[in-house]
Amino acid sequence: MERQVLMKLDRVTKTYDMGEIKVEALKETSLEVFSGEMLVILGPSGSGKSTLLNLMGGMDSPTSGQVIFKDQNISSGGEDVLTHYRRNEVGFVFQFYNLIPDLTARENVELAAELVKNPLPIDEILKEVGLDTRMDHFPSQMSGGEQQRISIARAVIKNPRLLLCDEPTGALDYETGKLILSLLKKINQEKGCTVVLITHNIAIGAMGDRVARMRSGKIVEITENPNPISPEGIEW
Amino acid sequence: MVMGILLRKLGHFIRRNLGQFLAATAVVMVGIMVYISMNTAYYNLSQSQSKFYQENNFADYYLQVVKAPEQVVKQVEQVEAVKRATGRIQKDLAIFKPNGERATARLVSFSLPMDNGLNKITVGQGRLFSSQGGSYVEAVADPQFAPANGLVWGDEIKVVVDGKVRLLTLVGSASSPEFIYPIKDTTNILPDPINFGIFMVEQQQAQQLLGMPGQINQVLLELVPGADQEKVVAAVEEILAPYGVVASFGRKYQISHAVLQAKLDGIGSVALYLPLIFLAIAAGIQMIILHRMIKIQRTQIGVMKALGYDNRRIIFHYTVYALAVSGLGAIVGIVLGVILAGGISELFAQYFNLPGGLKTFAWKTVADGMLLSLTMGTIAGVAGSRGVIRIQPAESMRPEPPPLTGQSLLEKWSGLWRHLSPEWKMTWRNIGRNRGRFMVTLFGVMFAVCLLIIAFFYNDVVDYMMQKFFYEGETYDITVRFDSLIDENELVNIDRLDGVLRTEPFIEMPVKIKYRGRSADEVILAYPQNMSMKKLQDETGQQIKVPADGMVINQRTADKLGIKAGDQIEVETMLPYGPIHKDQLQVVGDTQQLFGGGSYISLARGNVILQESNAMSGAMLDVENGKETEVEARLQEMLGIASITDRQKEIQNFNANLGVVTSFVSILVFFAVLLGFAIIYNASVINFAERRRELASLRVIGFTVGEISSLLVKENIVLLIGGILLGMPFGKWLVTVYVQSVSTDQFSLPVIIYPTTYLFAAIGGIIFVIVAHRFAVKGIKELDMVAALKSTD
Repeated sequence: MERQVLMKLDRVTKTYDMGEIKVEALKETSLEVFSGEMLVILGPSGSGKSTLLNLMGGMDSPTSGQVIFKDQNISSGGEDVLTHYRRNEVGFVFQFYNLIPDLTARENVELAAELVKNPLPIDEILKEVGLDTRMDHFPSQMSGGEQQRISIARAVIKNPRLLLCDEPTGALDYETGKLILSLLKKINQEKGCTVVLITHNIAIGAMGDRVARMRSGKIVEITENPNPISPEGIEW
Repeated sequence: MVMGILLRKLGHFIRRNLGQFLAATAVVMVGIMVYISMNTAYYNLSQSQSKFYQENNFADYYLQVVKAPEQVVKQVEQVEAVKRATGRIQKDLAIFKPNGERATARLVSFSLPMDNGLNKITVGQGRLFSSQGGSYVEAVADPQFAPANGLVWGDEIKVVVDGKVRLLTLVGSASSPEFIYPIKDTTNILPDPINFGIFMVEQQQAQQLLGMPGQINQVLLELVPGADQEKVVAAVEEILAPYGVVASFGRKYQISHAVLQAKLDGIGSVALYLPLIFLAIAAGIQMIILHRMIKIQRTQIGVMKALGYDNRRIIFHYTVYALAVSGLGAIVGIVLGVILAGGISELFAQYFNLPGGLKTFAWKTVADGMLLSLTMGTIAGVAGSRGVIRIQPAESMRPEPPPLTGQSLLEKWSGLWRHLSPEWKMTWRNIGRNRGRFMVTLFGVMFAVCLLIIAFFYNDVVDYMMQKFFYEGETYDITVRFDSLIDENELVNIDRLDGVLRTEPFIEMPVKIKYRGRSADEVILAYPQNMSMKKLQDETGQQIKVPADGMVINQRTADKLGIKAGDQIEVETMLPYGPIHKDQLQVVGDTQQLFGGGSYISLARGNVILQESNAMSGAMLDVENGKETEVEARLQEMLGIASITDRQKEIQNFNANLGVVTSFVSILVFFAVLLGFAIIYNASVINFAERRRELASLRVIGFTVGEISSLLVKENIVLLIGGILLGMPFGKWLVTVYVQSVSTDQFSLPVIIYPTTYLFAAIGGIIFVIVAHRFAVKGIKELDMVAALKSTD
């Protein structure tokens, strides 16, 4: 089967100017992300994986090189292009959930739904993440796992083509972490949504269709995983 | 050492949050500036007033008689509790200025030397009149008369006495406690130096000039402190009875004193309540800032406690911030206040003719201002940092749990709540979570709107009075007053003048109204019933009809004497010419005019009182456009005319007195905008800072900069709408209270607030909210989206 390229990073470099010294967080890195795949990016802290995710998510622009999403070079566009891209094409799942404390679970999801023309049905999504009975609770009344599930619902409601997850299990316990990973896998399979998952947890790599390993600002290896295992089977 | 480090830490905080620090300081500054300037001016003016009164032996009581021998004063001085008495002549005369124009002079006589006399005068420019005999008579005028008419010392003024022209030589200007505010009578509201002046001459010369040798027509009294005024006056009136007592009133009713006192009281109350409100709002802002500071420095406070600092030490540390705000605000406020005080004192001094020596530097006021500011700062500091006590060292090291969201009040109306967008829900819940901050800010916005309303109210009331009085009320072009009663038929001479279209006669007669043993001075205005050139109006603009019979009495006079419609009253004329007439009149109604006073009767009834048939004391002229000057010139040539008033000049005089109003309005608007800006800026900065992370995540999921800004502005919109809705009625209430506090017998302002004022106040509010919001959230573009992904604060 011919794999369609959804996103392409072409010799992307990112340098941070820290006054006297320059830090090269990403060095001439190229990567293709295919439609519908689950890509796990593994690497220790400081390896540049978050920088890579920021560029993929349109939160930052590369110092050199191109980020191309479906034939559009988003790295050369201005702030408006990036905002439009984040709004319509990308869903984010954060390590610390970043829910709006003043909104209930449902309202947090609604807030994101408002941003796009054709959002998915809210009740259905809340049911999918298993929180249809808790939807009138505020973030402060929910556990971390519940908050992360709302955060996933908020990302998915926009029906994005690309779901970017930055250490989604980083702040959760083992059991809850596995539940979240299952949910992401389910979304990937049932909705055909491309998922890019960043983690330092090597075990999680087993659930990806492909695994990219990073070290010192470079992708050092990309491995295909013809038989990814289900998150329930992962141990760490 | 340690204190030094803590201070440095505070210094860093201030530098990093300089905008907030300056905003809070600015509000303190305005409060203290108003406090210092107004109180210093009030102090200066009060001091000047009492010093001036004392030095010039300002009389406690005034009695006017028709004519009495000078020696009667000796008799009056024998009355128990009379400390001093002075006899003099006071008479209004028609004069011709060197340019041929007419005016009215109030001739007042003084015996030389003046040492012990009451109501002495202080020479300002030129020199005092001399007492050399003969027909050469020297006079000094009130300080405004000569400059207003372009006169110099040595100029000759023609005075008409009994139809004959005599000459007065102007040699200087002088002021007196009695003429600080030189207005002719209660029907005038502002000094009009072009048409009315006080002329002071030596007593014997006045007697000679007026053909009253050895005689006086006024007795002034100074009573011993604590004397029973009513009893003393009764005794004096008995002595003077044979000479015809035509007027008798205390200092309270002395027109100049009454107006001055009312203005001073007005300044006194503004000097207290305005600064207090500013300082209270400043204290609120400081509390909000400290509350926030403690929240973000929770861990630091935990560490300090772990190191062994006690609550008191830490609270003191945070209170220093409030003290820095109050101290700096007070210092700048004091400097500006002292500078402004000079200007304000000067302005008022000029306005009131008060003599110099005003520029005192009241150390007590300065010290009070500093103390007031630091006290407010300490209270704000301790109250704002009391949250320090609750912080436990161990707990403070852990990240703070997500903020608990309370139900906002609006949520109880589920029908409405359901229709709100998530953005509005966030806004309302954020308000619900920070009620204290919201209330302080709301109060500040409300007060800023109030100030705008008060400021624009001054414009409204002046405009309203101009409209009602000069444009709607009066259509004549010139008013002519005669120096005695003349027959209506003599108007033919005026009617004949080229350019005069129509004339309408009237009688103005000063009277004493007597009712149930009490009496009050009043001016009766008698107009034809079919009068067309002047519309009589009450305070609310309602037309007053000239009654066929009976009198429409001035409300303040009626209140003073307890007169109601239907009552029978006695009037006794006090015209400066002719015999005294007495008559009974029925009161058919009462009214309160915008300007001055006066009670109305018909011209026919006026003639009955005066036992005349066709008499008049003046006339209104309708003049062809463009011929006013010509007609005026012809009138100046005619004999028997006491004064000619040009309506255009009246308007100019009125406008000339408005400079004070304009500067006052601009200052108030400036304060209002500064206050509104400071309070909204502060609230927005904190709101933005507290929600940085939340807003950054919204940026990540695709909110544009504009959408984030509009999310933040929603809270300001709530504040603005709330502030406007509360500020409007509260502003109107404050205006009412203010007007009541400055109203006197002679002078009252209507509470007129045009709809456009509310509109302007609202627009002013919108402007300061937008500007403050822009300044506060200019960091939105730099929101760090990457940080939102990682840190937990």
